[in-house]
Amino acid sequence: MSLEHIRTAAAAVQSPQPSPDERVSPDMTALASLERDAELMLRIREGDQASFSLLLERHRLPVIHFLYRMVQNQAVAEELAQEVFLRVYRSRDTYAPTAKFTTWLFRIATHLALNWIRDGKNEKSQESLDAEIAEGATRQVADRGRTVEQEMLYQARLGEVRQAIENLPAKQKSAVLMHKYEEMEYSQIAGVLNCSESAVKSLLFRAYETLRSRLAHMA
Amino acid sequence: MQCPKENGNAAELMIAYVAEALEPATQIALERHITQCADCREMAAQQKAVWDALEDWKPAPISSDFDEKLYQRIAQDEQRGWWRRLTGANWSWAFRPAMPVAAACAALIVAFLIRGPLSEYDSTPQVQPQVSIEQVERALDDVDLLKQLTPSAPVEESAGERI
Repeated sequence: MSLEHIRTAAAAVQSPQPSPDERVSPDMTALASLERDAELMLRIREGDQASFSLLLERHRLPVIHFLYRMVQNQAVAEELAQEVFLRVYRSRDTYAPTAKFTTWLFRIATHLALNWIRDGKNEKSQESLDAEIAEGATRQVADRGRTVEQEMLYQARLGEVRQAIENLPAKQKSAVLMHKYEEMEYSQIAGVLNCSESAVKSLLFRAYETLRSRLAHMA
Repeated sequence: MQCPKENGNAAELMIAYVAEALEPATQIALERHITQCADCREMAAQQKAVWDALEDWKPAPISSDFDEKLYQRIAQDEQRGWWRRLTGANWSWAFRPAMPVAAACAALIVAFLIRGPLSEYDSTPQVQPQVSIEQVERALDDVDLLKQLTPSAPVEESAGERI
């Protein structure tokens, strides 16, 4: 596949798309979108490059946001997200729609993030992480027009939240992020983490218990 | 509604309650219970605080060239694909049935190199007797001498009598 070919295909897919922040929910709309994902993958297998662009458009933001909160570094999150979508593209010939597409997608993303965390690569980027926190907060604040005092309070609050999440064990962290931000059900999180639903409940209970003890004072 | 803390499912219910993921009837019943139960009220408030705090954490904007970089990586990957297919793991699968045969041949070759040709070991050395004519004559003389010294036995008579 040539780069020009992909660009052309991507340009062709500029029709109104569902919100990239689309969350996984059990209603019929979500069910239809899940089937659509599988259909897109099957079309990619047949050589339809525009379907890949469409798939990327639909899932780019949730994947990057999830990875960003996992590794707490935007550059690393985007690098890992590229690897996720590259693997999706490589798997086009062997893909079988036996599970929900998003479950499979987040399984790849979680696997890469957990590996990155396990390999201790986060230590290397600790300096950039600090800069990242400040930069990210500034970007958010600029839109909200807080006073300096509010800004400092917000920064402190955000720092605590990030630190509390960062300190969670990796699997608890991924379970909480999928539950809170991707609004996944227990069964889907179980599918991503390759464990039972009761194990997911246990992970979430422990994670939220830890977070309650650390963040309850923010009420 | 019975107190969730007594049932042992308080954590699960509170998480779902704050996430607004309960069935409407259960949501309303729990809400009513919370107004009457101080313990559950405190737990719900703590969970709500965590939920709201997490809500504040917005992700950073994505790089404008994310797609561009991805498509470049895909194009590079596709170019490398041919070479990877040639040198990749597929070949090991293709040659998998021949592997035991190859291993056996290698073992035979090694054994041959270490021990040398089998014929050298299996053929016993043949010792050629070297007998001279003098030795033969001497042996015949000895036999004759022995015949002369031996007394003639009445074998034939005995045998005749039996007949």
